[in-house]
Amino acid sequence: MSEGNSQGKKHALLERLRIQSWKEALWTVIFSFIGAVIYLVVALIPMPYTMVSLFKLGLAPALAVIPAAGAMRGPIAGLLTGYIGEVVHVLIITGGIVTATLPALAYGIMGFVVGLARYDFARGRSLGKLSLLSALGFVMAAVLILAIGLMVEHSGTLATIGFVFLPLVTVGLPSVVLLAPVFGRIGHLALKGLNLGGIVSR
Amino acid sequence: MSSYLKTNKFFVAVLVLSLIIGGLTFSNLPGPATSLSVQTVNGVNYNFADYGSLTHEQLALFNYLDTIVSQEYQPYGNWSGWNAELFAGLHHYVLAFMSYATAGLFESTPGYRTDYYRNFAYDLIKKMNTTVAEFNDTSIEYREWMNPSYGFSQYHYPNATNSSDLYVGGYRGPANIMWTAHYALMMELYERNFLTGELASEIGWYVRDWNNTLTTDGYGNSKEGGIFGVGLIPCEPYIVFVQCNSIPIYTTELYDNLYDTSYMDSGIWDYGLDFINTTMQDGNGLFTDGYYTMEPVGFHYPSEGPPPTFPGLALDRVMLDGRPRVSSYCNAWSLAFLEYTQPEETIKDYPVFVDLYGKDLSADKMYMVDSYYYPSRFGTYDILGSLFTLALAKQRGDVSTRDRILNFLYGSFNKQWSADGRTLYYDTASLEPFLQAVLAFGWIWGTTPVTIRNLADARPSAFWGYPYISHADDDNMWVYQAQWNPVKEGFVLNIRVDQLSTLTFSNFDHVPTAYSGGSAMAQLTTSGADYTLSLQPGTYNIVIV
Repeated sequence: MSEGNSQGKKHALLERLRIQSWKEALWTVIFSFIGAVIYLVVALIPMPYTMVSLFKLGLAPALAVIPAAGAMRGPIAGLLTGYIGEVVHVLIITGGIVTATLPALAYGIMGFVVGLARYDFARGRSLGKLSLLSALGFVMAAVLILAIGLMVEHSGTLATIGFVFLPLVTVGLPSVVLLAPVFGRIGHLALKGLNLGGIVSR
Repeated sequence: MSSYLKTNKFFVAVLVLSLIIGGLTFSNLPGPATSLSVQTVNGVNYNFADYGSLTHEQLALFNYLDTIVSQEYQPYGNWSGWNAELFAGLHHYVLAFMSYATAGLFESTPGYRTDYYRNFAYDLIKKMNTTVAEFNDTSIEYREWMNPSYGFSQYHYPNATNSSDLYVGGYRGPANIMWTAHYALMMELYERNFLTGELASEIGWYVRDWNNTLTTDGYGNSKEGGIFGVGLIPCEPYIVFVQCNSIPIYTTELYDNLYDTSYMDSGIWDYGLDFINTTMQDGNGLFTDGYYTMEPVGFHYPSEGPPPTFPGLALDRVMLDGRPRVSSYCNAWSLAFLEYTQPEETIKDYPVFVDLYGKDLSADKMYMVDSYYYPSRFGTYDILGSLFTLALAKQRGDVSTRDRILNFLYGSFNKQWSADGRTLYYDTASLEPFLQAVLAFGWIWGTTPVTIRNLADARPSAFWGYPYISHADDDNMWVYQAQWNPVKEGFVLNIRVDQLSTLTFSNFDHVPTAYSGGSAMAQLTTSGADYTLSLQPGTYNIVIV
């Protein structure tokens, strides 16, 4: 009985991670790479913003791609979309690696956290849950990035808070709260239109 | 429709909110790129991408600078709009580096030499040379030297208070390289870019004075290392800096190139260059920040740690353990201006400098820490070091570093366009209003296609016979490209015209014709020895042959 229970838990975990079979794992990897490419393309587009005193206001749609990917295909897809997308983004912009890719990992963790829950993209309540969990994942990522800047990169405290953490929060938080459900819903509809709805549906 | 809204309330709500927030914050996007075409005129191919070009934003930033510099807007001793009340002692640096940045802008369109650019460069020089006699405490002389708290006015070497010793306290004298070198270089770049001859004699006086300071004891006797014994000239009467001396070294190079002299070959700076490359070095092969040639009057010894030695390296003021002072602004400035003289040093040191002082904030942002001894601190000098690195990174072709520092420096400010669309500045009031003028020329310095190293070369003598725009309705136009190609014998003009405007061309030896898209659009009109071209509002890529 306990062995069967353990097997069931293991299967449920693999299913939650969307790697319960080779085929599912392959789809997760493919989905992650597509998500990373979308993140990269959107991240490379200069976005408008407005400063109100020291507060930066605007939207960063690329950030919302990560939780949307996690919501659609599970935590591993969210993790890989954020991590790979940001690593390649950094590579393109800097030609190298920034802080051992740890900030990219923080973005990946946001996708992972969001991907742990199940969503029904046709229901507003479920999209609301996606907004909330995106906010939670984002705050975790932002705090991690702040800690990485202060404790690993050893950047100036004021510089890290004023030029990284603060704008990241004031732009990123509304972005993931508002746009993650939008992207999730649109992505879900697009995949359904391609007869690939099964990739997403829970 | 209503049933869709009922069943998709949340989705519609977040979508609408996203659009509202996006709409309300829709500003500060990158400016438009300059349109560059390829044209074939009379069988000759002109690719506009092969010529120096400026962007609309660079020109708008320059137009803003003009409003706080030109005598047309304020007297030379006036600082209205500079937000510099709390920054006495820094004004002359802003003027000097603004001059170097805009000299690169002028050089980007070398065939556009109307009064507009020339007057700006001239007014900067005049603003730099304001005297107590004329402008009292708003003069540069007062703010940089005569302020009683500095105690520089009466100064002798080596004993500051012994009037029998060598007098070095004059504002324009041998112990004030932080003003004399900048002033001389500003004048020199003016002559390099506009060849009026008006300032040549005054420039020569300074170069001869440096030669005297660096190669004699000040009394007419030859002396290795010069008056101060280190082959360098102090910024204040008792301390020498690599960065400040990089300016007269660069100025001497350009002077030799402009006036066919051979001060550099004579070894005027050899002792000093050796001194900075051997003695004024940290453990990483980079420059240290300051060397005392003598103990300053009223020097405050540190409360702990080993005391400084005189003469000796300036010590760090925070660590207090005897290590020499280092700074990013010192190195960025020095490496940039010394590259013309010792390129191998700058090329070797640059990656070490970026690695040691650079701090990654994110994929698209980085800055230079003031001192790598204490990277967690952040203040004015980190911004200063980042600003100087813009020009150095551009010169070294390191676009990634340049762009990431630009994002750091400018990403927190709103662009402020004037109502008529002619001027632009970054509104830095939320952080430090004084940065407004600094960031305006900083953007130009970091992004125009001409480097500091480029400007050390004089223009070939034939250049002054090339056709150029000598007069124009400057207030109505945006000149993105203007350059004569001496091989193809064609003038490349990339211009936007806001109102009907006329340009006057000099030095054509025939009646030229303007071509657009490879087709003749107009023959220029003869006006005395010159030729004029009138343009209706619009943007043009024109070849004039």
